[in-house]
Amino acid sequence: MTRTSPRRELRRTMRACASLLALWVVLALASSVRAQATADSVRARGHLLCGVNTTMQGFSAMDGQGRWAGLDVDVCRAIAAAVLGDAEKVHYVPLSASERFASLKAGTIDVLSRNVTITLERDASLGLQMTAIAYYDGQGFMVPLKSRIRSARQLKDKTVCLQQGSSTIRNVRDYSRTHKLNIRPMVFDQLEDVIAAYFAGNCDALTNETSQIAALRAQFAKTPADHIILPELIAKGPMGPMVRRGDEHWTSLVRWVLYGLIEAEELGITQANIDQFRNSPDPSVQRVVGTGEDAGKLMGLDREWQARAIRATGNYGEIFERNLGPRSVLGLPRGMNHLWNKGGLHYAPPVR
Amino acid sequence: MTSTQTTRPWRHAAGLLTLLAALLAPGAQAGSTLDAVRSRGQLICGVSTGLPGFAATDANGKWQGLDVDICRAVAAAVLGDADKVRYAPLSGSNRFSALQAGEIDLLSHTTTITLARDAAMGLHMTGISYYDAQGFLVPVKSRLRSARQLKDKTVCVQQNSTTVRNLNEYSRLYKLNIKVLLFDQLEAANAAYFAGKCDAFTNDMSQLAVVRTTYAAKPDDHVVLPDVIAKEPLGPMVKRGDEDWTTIVRWVLYGLIEAEEQGITQANVDRLRSSPEPAIQRIAGTGEDLGKMLGLDREWLARAIRATGNYGEIFDRNLGAKSPIGVPRGLNHLWNRGGLHYALPVR
Repeated sequence: MTRTSPRRELRRTMRACASLLALWVVLALASSVRAQATADSVRARGHLLCGVNTTMQGFSAMDGQGRWAGLDVDVCRAIAAAVLGDAEKVHYVPLSASERFASLKAGTIDVLSRNVTITLERDASLGLQMTAIAYYDGQGFMVPLKSRIRSARQLKDKTVCLQQGSSTIRNVRDYSRTHKLNIRPMVFDQLEDVIAAYFAGNCDALTNETSQIAALRAQFAKTPADHIILPELIAKGPMGPMVRRGDEHWTSLVRWVLYGLIEAEELGITQANIDQFRNSPDPSVQRVVGTGEDAGKLMGLDREWQARAIRATGNYGEIFERNLGPRSVLGLPRGMNHLWNKGGLHYAPPVR
Repeated sequence: MTSTQTTRPWRHAAGLLTLLAALLAPGAQAGSTLDAVRSRGQLICGVSTGLPGFAATDANGKWQGLDVDICRAVAAAVLGDADKVRYAPLSGSNRFSALQAGEIDLLSHTTTITLARDAAMGLHMTGISYYDAQGFLVPVKSRLRSARQLKDKTVCVQQNSTTVRNLNEYSRLYKLNIKVLLFDQLEAANAAYFAGKCDAFTNDMSQLAVVRTTYAAKPDDHVVLPDVIAKEPLGPMVKRGDEDWTTIVRWVLYGLIEAEEQGITQANVDRLRSSPEPAIQRIAGTGEDLGKMLGLDREWLARAIRATGNYGEIFDRNLGAKSPIGVPRGLNHLWNRGGLHYALPVR
């Protein structure tokens, strides 16, 4: 009895150790795979797994031909073009708000490009990482075209309809105080009531996230063109692609694909003219079109990575115009999404 | 006999467990920089060898500057004391190797963020602390009024920098045949320029302002040309392999920027503890606990602000209106005041 019991204990311990060891081996293998090789597994698989919104007009939605389109979709297409050489090699995974982060964490997708607002909590505590900002959303205003109001600074003594919510009203109050506008908020519990009140002419303006305002206008305005979204944002809602932690190579890659599209716009390189730029003597242009210093090599890509992305989606400005701009269904003003040297915030660090 | 029979295998098991623990340890590296900084009781911060406004020692031997304040803010957030920083002055050429080798926890060194530096050197960017651009300083009497007039001229520049590469590319593009005079130390490049060894000095615009006001015998004898030849976004960098640390540094920086946007200053941060606004409570340390998500405590950001002030205060004190350098805020204003600084939501 006294001899067998410790032996049994020992066997049990050894078994526990063995299974721990096995677990460790599995974990170690998994983490070493994860440590580098999102790009490798994308290549081995032959397509990019991209988490998108189920339907968000202008960002990710299926068009009449069953093709995914939108700004978030174009980010995926650009990554696929850079990494796989083909923007079509993307498998879109439509995700609800509740499953988007878990799906990325679990490795079901390679990148989450789904109108995600980047916050401290999401960057720091979900096992995920931000890459860069693809779209500066935020609270803004819509006014009737005939009001002749063209800037939020002209909302002096105006009534603004808004939905109950601590930050929405505070942002209006802060903006009103800062610019001495005496804006009068008219608060409703339900979004439908806000919309009804605004379109009934009970208030001079409506405030919400501008991407949402644009969607509401497209859906509820009798004539969408009779209403305009003002260029100013009074609060921040920056959106950008997110990746899983544990593969900083992939984080950088996604970040610089996006920066590359922004840099291309700054240099005037478009989908249409990119091939004419191949003879440019400007080193900044040469790097983008793939004839100069090889920045692709630094990320395990080839020299043409950016050129392919631009050929597939156009530069950032073209992506914006096609999906969100004045000629699109949403008709959003470029506003803060202009380049840094045109009054906006998009600024690519040197792509070199 | 029975005792040895039972204890020996147990010792084996214990040994195996120790081995397992050792094997598992490398996987549990997350947070290791934070742990190392804490157990050392000090943050090791790589800074410039002496660049007034960014990192230089004052008359009392105390480090001052925007880059220094970032180190101080991180130390305040992580260690509870902004003075617990050891500064490692580094030249342009050894700054990256020091970070790669783990000799410093953080590189806060007027470093331009580029693809190569973020993607291919085993390092990572965190955020942008100063939006700069490259320009030229020339003597007034040279009658040079545009960078395009630098044909066949000699230009002094610090080596191993984005600056020298931009200069060469600019020269080639506009066929200027600029003769480049390289220096390892910034101070030596300055000295050569003021000794008349070159026709122009090139660097980031902020540094040209510093050099002109600090080192020129008569600042008015020198002029910064209006041309800007490259974007130079500067920011703190960290070593790869510890995303928790990357995130901490990033959000300390964003926290200082957000504090400015919310009107929270060194002087009023304590008073604002009683603010009813959730956005202010989160920063002042009385609201939703964001520190926990970073592996820090609730007061992380409040301490940083108490130590250095918000981003605007840091800028004004070191480079702006309240400094002898007097750089205009320009692109370094907040996003809603015509600049580019935009903290992602601190929530």
